Amino acid sequence: MDEDKELTKRSLKGEKEAFEMIVRKYQQQLLNYIGRMVGNQELALDFTQEVFIKSYSSLYSYNPQYKFSTWLFKIASNYIIDYWRKKKIDAFSLDQKSKWNNDKPSFQLQSDESSICERFEMSELRKKIEKALEKIPPSLRELFVWRHINEFSYEEMAEIKGIPIGTIKNRVFQAKELIRELLEDAT
Amino acid sequence: MNCLRINQIYLYLEGELSPAENKSIEEHLSSCLICKKAVKERKLLLQASRSLPLWNTPPDFTQQVMTRIFPEKVSLRSLLIVMAAGSSLIFLTFLTYLLISDQNLADFLISLGQTLLNLVRNLSILFVKLYKLASLLVKIILQFSEFLLKGFDSLTTILSPELQIILITFTLILSAFILFRVKKTLLTGERS
Repeated sequence: MDEDKELTKRSLKGEKEAFEMIVRKYQQQLLNYIGRMVGNQELALDFTQEVFIKSYSSLYSYNPQYKFSTWLFKIASNYIIDYWRKKKIDAFSLDQKSKWNNDKPSFQLQSDESSICERFEMSELRKKIEKALEKIPPSLRELFVWRHINEFSYEEMAEIKGIPIGTIKNRVFQAKELIRELLEDAT
Repeated sequence: MNCLRINQIYLYLEGELSPAENKSIEEHLSSCLICKKAVKERKLLLQASRSLPLWNTPPDFTQQVMTRIFPEKVSLRSLLIVMAAGSSLIFLTFLTYLLISDQNLADFLISLGQTLLNLVRNLSILFVKLYKLASLLVKIILQFSEFLLKGFDSLTTILSPELQIILITFTLILSAFILFRVKKTLLTGERS
């Protein structure tokens, strides 16, 4: 945390090496997020570069009161939203027909629920999850990736999206249950 | 305790609950097979989700980003080196030419001077002519636009606003028609 603040301070003073350290630190995290959102390695690499360039040019507007990582991912998230908009893809609606299709879903456990994950080996389960991840709405996919791949806390995710923690938690659970439903379809 | 809700299961597995809440859930799990099975299922899902393969950046990625942010600038030192090398090359070529052609240095310098003088004289004549032509063109354009403005001004004073609108609309339609005809003629020409 403090290291990031120090690095941004030095970058603003024109120290090239300081920003290089920031790039090295966050490049993989950003690529994993952007890659899962656009689903294409070349495009993801290009977008990751663009996000770093954008963040460098607006570094003066970074408020050190907040975490640098959340600020950086906010830029990345907005960049991806713009990309969806330009491609005329609705990135925000939960367009999947599902019982999870609202903000206050019923998290009631069914007594006849079947075990899906147990049917697969761990490596196979990972592959199935990756496939299912591509099918869930981008707004839920984004939160799932932040939580489980980028390992953000719910507080950090709420800070990035500017929405209450409770809503973020519900949406992450929705994402996981949607993926589970899709795994069931795949069996 | 009633059966667990799915969000409770996730909060429990992710360690987001208080010790008291955890304890009551564990007590319930020890006696409820349905919830135990559901917890096991979500635990597997979480384990797999947390260990998804990572995408790796290429080895030169950082360098690519840094080059795009800070493009390489040519330093003054390297610029001076290039200039010195260029001058030396010209000098060497000149010396080699003198040695091969067996020409007198004084004669060569005189002919070079005359060639340069002719070039400067011809170029200055060309520039003067071009300047005269450009100033004449500007004068014509200015006079023509002044004439157009005056004509338009007198038209607006003579004609009523309604008639002006009709006239402008008619002119626009006529221009569009002419453009259309020209385009059509050109296309027909291309086809034939």
